[in-house]
Amino acid sequence: MIKRFLSLEWKQFSRASYFQKGIAIKILLFFAALYFGGIAVFLGVGIFFILKKAVPDVDPIETVNNFLIYWVLFDLVIRFFMQQLPVMNIKPLMAIPIKRKTIVHFLLGKTTLSFFNIITILLFVPFCVVLLVKGYAVLNVICWFLSIMFITLSVNFLNFLINKNNTFFYIITSVLAVLVGLEFYGIYKTSEPIGMAFNALFNNPYLVIIPLGLLIGLYRLNFSYIINEFYLDGAISKKVEKVDTTDLTWMNRFGSITIFLKNDVRLIWRNARPKQVLMMSFLFLFYGLIFYTQETYQKMPAFLAFASMFVTGGFLMTFGQLVPSWDSEYYKLLMSQNIPYRKYLESKWYLMVVAVAISFVLSTPYLYFGWKIFGMIAAGALFNIGLNSFITLFGGALNRVPIELNVKAKAFGNTNGFNPTQMLIALPKLVLPMLLFYVPYKLINFEVGLIVLALSGVLGIVFKNFFLSKIESIYQKGKYKTIAAFAEKN
Amino acid sequence: MITTSNLSKKYNNNLVLKIDSLEIPRGQSFGLVGNNGAGKTTYFSLLLDLIQPTTGYINNNNVLVHESEDWKPFTSSFIDESFLIGYLTAEEYFYFIGELRNQNKADVDKLLAQFEDFFHGEILKQKKYLRDLSKGNQKKAGIVAALIGNPEVIILDEPFANLDPTTQIRLKGIIKDLAEKQGVTVLISSHDLMHVTDVCERIVVLEKGEIIKDLATNSATLKELEAHFSGTTVV
Repeated sequence: MIKRFLSLEWKQFSRASYFQKGIAIKILLFFAALYFGGIAVFLGVGIFFILKKAVPDVDPIETVNNFLIYWVLFDLVIRFFMQQLPVMNIKPLMAIPIKRKTIVHFLLGKTTLSFFNIITILLFVPFCVVLLVKGYAVLNVICWFLSIMFITLSVNFLNFLINKNNTFFYIITSVLAVLVGLEFYGIYKTSEPIGMAFNALFNNPYLVIIPLGLLIGLYRLNFSYIINEFYLDGAISKKVEKVDTTDLTWMNRFGSITIFLKNDVRLIWRNARPKQVLMMSFLFLFYGLIFYTQETYQKMPAFLAFASMFVTGGFLMTFGQLVPSWDSEYYKLLMSQNIPYRKYLESKWYLMVVAVAISFVLSTPYLYFGWKIFGMIAAGALFNIGLNSFITLFGGALNRVPIELNVKAKAFGNTNGFNPTQMLIALPKLVLPMLLFYVPYKLINFEVGLIVLALSGVLGIVFKNFFLSKIESIYQKGKYKTIAAFAEKN
Repeated sequence: MITTSNLSKKYNNNLVLKIDSLEIPRGQSFGLVGNNGAGKTTYFSLLLDLIQPTTGYINNNNVLVHESEDWKPFTSSFIDESFLIGYLTAEEYFYFIGELRNQNKADVDKLLAQFEDFFHGEILKQKKYLRDLSKGNQKKAGIVAALIGNPEVIILDEPFANLDPTTQIRLKGIIKDLAEKQGVTVLISSHDLMHVTDVCERIVVLEKGEIIKDLATNSATLKELEAHFSGTTVV
């Protein structure tokens, strides 16, 4: 039976529309997978030596154990937002003679093949190999590794419960919030006993039973939860959401684009995929931290300009690059109605501008790094509003990949809205702010660089109508192609 | 009102539609029947400029459909669920369509009030998004949305499918009323020969993309259609 399920899954995977795209995408995907896998392996090997150098008097394995809890938490958070739940298409399976238990076991088993579990293997196997080479006791290393895997899988199943059940979600987030708070203010460091616990795990191989027990417990919990809800209207079905009835009439003041703006706000608020984008764009706010805190980048202002653009541009780029795709589910409706493309585009543009403005306000803590950095962020924001927005919309116009709005993007299968043109369009987005800043900076000075970058944005706003007309004409030219492509889903 | 001339549509040398000439006068209720793949939806998609004709043209009230967009203000349609915006409630959707067709909230409310029977208490004030409604209720919402803004041409693809019997009967009344009293040109397609002969004054049969029958409905039409589709010849 399992074999037959597997073959179904394989067909679903290999016949998915994104897989039958061009060879170019396949190659790109392959390299992306290789890249991330490679990084994981590299990190796994390197971490031992890095830690040995960084904290010479502590055994690297101890350092790893002390910080392991953060990895687990990070894993949980990322999974919560990114991991797709195993909604196997059970409807056709319910009425044929297969034991429910088999289906549920398969459903749960399938989740263990998730990308997130594989990345853990890629990270920890090389690390353990290094440990073995360095002469750590074989039994300890193997049991420790097994413990890690059991914990990872436990997180995997925990995530399922959290996602399906709001009470679980609230309990876990509040417990986490309290612990992190205590830790942060130095009242009680929970990470210390947990670190000790992990060390104990390593030193006493037989303790591997504890994570194993945890895993079995969680698995059983999941199992009984699903088997009790194994009905069309149960846990495996899609949820019927409660309607949110936020009154948006206050938006009427935006004049002729109001209709679209209201719709766009609802689009973002009520669908899983755009919500995910919103979350991701929030993370972009922290992008600057990577660059501003490092000595090396201080002498490379071009990179700082690049990072500053990202700080305020997260939503703009992630949302904007999929602009007609967001409306792909009902594109035929839009095309048969009396819809001015201009108003449609303008609404999206305003949305992006507002997002940049909000990000800019939220980025004020960067003042900590001084006025120069904050000036860069401000100039980057102007560049985003004036130029980047149009470049992004232009790239989106060439993009004809349908999106399922209410389905979370997969961590890796996500080629929705991903194609070679997109990559080419992304280049000027990244290079342009660096050039605009760097050339005048080299020739004259820092301030002039900022001014040029900011002015480029202002210039873009002045020519807004010109840019929008250009993008409009692409929409018009590609109308039939776009309709056909958007109708292709499923 | 709608003139079709020399129209054909090919996909990779596969001819799916070929209509040399078809004239639909204003205020006619026009029915299109045919088996799967006969070209009904293709014809409607061409009427809405959703696909490009290989040859020929459709002229909707003196507007060439594939060249100008001026037919949009007086033409409305419901073809399939992709005409619904899944994340809106029915009311929000109606107001959205209303705004696109220059109708304010009061206008839309007035129109919706007429369809209280038709909705049967399952569409309005449901606190549900359209994507969570049943297929039949989605269809109800889509059909009524197509009536917003006083269109002169209404195109409905398979409007009777998925509807419960009561609603089917009510829908027939609505369509008749539109064509007879309000002078609206209504184009529908259907697999239900009985309904289509009840509602339409004229019925065109498509087969493999070509018109093979063009009938003015009378008491013998249903028999003739049934005979045609069951493969026996009429005496």
